[in-house]
Amino acid sequence: METDSTRLADLMLNDRGFVFDPNTGESYQVSATGLTCLRGLQRGATVNELVAELVATCGVEPITARCDTDAFVWELNQLGWL
Amino acid sequence: MNPQPYVAPTIRRVSQASANPQRLGRAPVMEAIDGVAVTRLLETHGSPLFVFSESQLREKIRAARAAFESVYPHVTFAWSYKTNYLNAICRVFHQEGSMAEVVSGFEYEKARINGVAGSRIIFNGPWKTPGALRRAVAEGALIQVDNRDEILALARLAEERNGPIEVGIRVHVDTGTHAVWSKFGFNADDGEALRMMAWVKAHTRLIIRGIHCHVGTFMLDAGAYAIAAKALVELAMAAEAAGAGPVEYLDLGGGFASHARLHGQYLPPEQATPGFKDYAQAICGTIKQHWPAGRKLPHLYLETGRALVDEAGYLVSSVVAVKQRRMHDAKAVFAAYGKGGTTPAAALGAYGKGDVANGQGVNRRNAVVLDAGIHILYTTAWYQPSIYPAAMTTAGVQPTTVYGCLCMNIDVIREEAPLPDLKAGDAVVMHPVGAYNITQSMQFIAYRPAVVMIDPERRVHLIRRRETLEDVQGPEVVPEHLAHSNNAPAASGRHES
Repeated sequence: METDSTRLADLMLNDRGFVFDPNTGESYQVSATGLTCLRGLQRGATVNELVAELVATCGVEPITARCDTDAFVWELNQLGWL
Repeated sequence: MNPQPYVAPTIRRVSQASANPQRLGRAPVMEAIDGVAVTRLLETHGSPLFVFSESQLREKIRAARAAFESVYPHVTFAWSYKTNYLNAICRVFHQEGSMAEVVSGFEYEKARINGVAGSRIIFNGPWKTPGALRRAVAEGALIQVDNRDEILALARLAEERNGPIEVGIRVHVDTGTHAVWSKFGFNADDGEALRMMAWVKAHTRLIIRGIHCHVGTFMLDAGAYAIAAKALVELAMAAEAAGAGPVEYLDLGGGFASHARLHGQYLPPEQATPGFKDYAQAICGTIKQHWPAGRKLPHLYLETGRALVDEAGYLVSSVVAVKQRRMHDAKAVFAAYGKGGTTPAAALGAYGKGDVANGQGVNRRNAVVLDAGIHILYTTAWYQPSIYPAAMTTAGVQPTTVYGCLCMNIDVIREEAPLPDLKAGDAVVMHPVGAYNITQSMQFIAYRPAVVMIDPERRVHLIRRRETLEDVQGPEVVPEHLAHSNNAPAASGRHES
């Protein structure tokens, strides 16, 4: 059956950071900022936009937010979600 | 509106076990020690920092004394110097009535400087230098003879002094619950100790007044002391029958467990560790049961250290780096019910997405690097200290590997401590660490930290300052031909051709 969904779009998230990947049956726990990023990516946000959101909501310095967001996105790539 | 506290975006795969958020329990926080804020301690004395509670030291020795003195008429505690010989610590115990128990000439000297009379020192150990032995004899210390050579040395000394020397004899006993500490003393089970006591009586001017037995360390079974106490009473009676008595005192050594937790220990210390009353009943009850009725009971000496000082000691340390540690367990394996294999959904190609990544990247564990290492936490080789954040946090608890600051791969303080997300600069408190870590710490890579004691009035006293370069280099001597370095600043720059 052909579908137009993606691995990222298939993910099921709840507000407590619990993530279920129906493609593998695996479950994950993301931090609060990880949830923000994951939902942002599902909406189509860029990394720059994610960084800006973390800076705005957490008051973290931009270089720290950039460093951590890049690492997070790298992990999602490892999972094949991006 | 205040910004939310920043925690880096992270993702962890949920294993069957970690799906239970209660698995790791609550995340207790230790914001203060004896009413003094941890942040204030660090601001004043730097990080890392050992902190001792004087109140807890006094409460412990008082509880121990009460437990034994309530069931036995003649009992004296001797503070085990090797467990922690910071002078301030020793003096607290001496103020509380404890003698000193030392195992070297160095410790003997410390006890004397701390104002302990020779006659109030129990001198143990397998090696006592001739000078230390001579001084201990002259000052009337309670010498516990460990071996044949020491007996001969003391016998010669008695001849030299032209008078008797009173000693105790150290023995070891198989209590069935621990490796027999046969390194120390004579075997009380196979007749060796009795033969030696009779020989001493027949051939020397030594008078054996006591029998000493240290069953082992961190004894979680108080029953081992009952076995040892029975063996010592039987040996005392046999020695008397052989004309080598009377034995006036029994010394059951130390070894009472603290509320530390051994690696692999299933039950928490609150359930596994016997109380002082349990040890008292095992020792005193046994002696009273087997000592001949109508005879004055022997004096009882106890040298417990760990159980008195461990919980009074804390190590405050700071997170200097946060890492993610890749784990190699169960990454593509369906762990539930231990059946192994590939996850059903992945095997079926659910949702028709074809090949899926195996998730290696997210099979990670939080890890932190502290500014303290195992060079000042020697006991972490056997025990796992609890590690508490020093500030409240809203983050959930997760398994966290706690690394020390040393450039050594073995420097792991806890393999899996339940901790919330921490960041560089956060303080943590490790506990209990009061026993042996000070005395067994080594100067290695980093300076050893300062030590403070909080008194019952919440005043903080520096009892050992932080080490300096001069402390480390003071004993060194550089030969003349090495006095000049070839690494003075180069005129042409760092990289010379």
